[in-house]
Amino acid sequence: MFLTLKLLGNRHPSFIARTVFVKNNNVEDACRLINRVLGKDGILEQFRLTRYYEKPFQTRRRINHEKCKAIYNEDMERKIKFVLRKNRHEPFPGCH
Amino acid sequence: MLSALRTSFRISVNSLVRSFQTTTPATIDRLDHKRIPADDEGVQGEKIIDLDSVLKAKQGLFPTLESDNILYDGVPYKDLSICNIRVSHNNTVFTLTDHAGTVKLIRSCGMEGFKNTKKGTNIAAQTTAISIATKAIDRGIKNIRVRVRGLGPGRLSAVKGLQMGGLQIISVTDNTRVSWNPPRPRKARRL
Repeated sequence: MFLTLKLLGNRHPSFIARTVFVKNNNVEDACRLINRVLGKDGILEQFRLTRYYEKPFQTRRRINHEKCKAIYNEDMERKIKFVLRKNRHEPFPGCH
Repeated sequence: MLSALRTSFRISVNSLVRSFQTTTPATIDRLDHKRIPADDEGVQGEKIIDLDSVLKAKQGLFPTLESDNILYDGVPYKDLSICNIRVSHNNTVFTLTDHAGTVKLIRSCGMEGFKNTKKGTNIAAQTTAISIATKAIDRGIKNIRVRVRGLGPGRLSAVKGLQMGGLQIISVTDNTRVSWNPPRPRKARRL
């Protein structure tokens, strides 16, 4: 209820989003976690991309390259899974 | 005899069910990978740890409905004083405010005696953080929330320095200004 009101009152309420509580006085872990959240959400990437103007030819190049990379990675992952497939009761005997 | 059989059967079933893991391959990138950096995970060498598992394992890391009213030394979370840190490539500015945003203290790396490029280093950020922390403690502030804006070399060391100065950091918030439909940025640097 309170949260809803706060969100309605302000589009960017502070200390709701992108906030991590520090546990056991471990500031470094909290910073690392928040950095990871930012990275996963693509905020760091967007920050990097919008720092300087990206010319249309650069955007085209980047998008094409990302496409190529995604296809390559997908194929490679499938290949590696195929090579490393296991068909035995215990996939890694003696490795407990 | 029967029980032994049963245990052996269970072990075999367990081993069947057990999922096996393979390390992610170091892909050979023939493309021009210098131009586009790899997906930014925020931290180097942290790619193996899955974020979801962290979130499941730990409770109380993120704000909830009740977190505004949690008491810290008798003061609710929403009334704790805030330390805003503005990090840029060339400087780090600390502003200590109360919960309403009234400014109490301002220190920056430049005020601390670092000049020119030295302002933008992590050491400058840390020493400034320690000095503002001691000043804050003189004023009777013990628990603070930290709000960081911007990316720069002093980002992590600034928060760490506040703790080293003796302040108790309750939460860390990121407030970096990021827009998905920004006005046209300045032209790219030519290197």
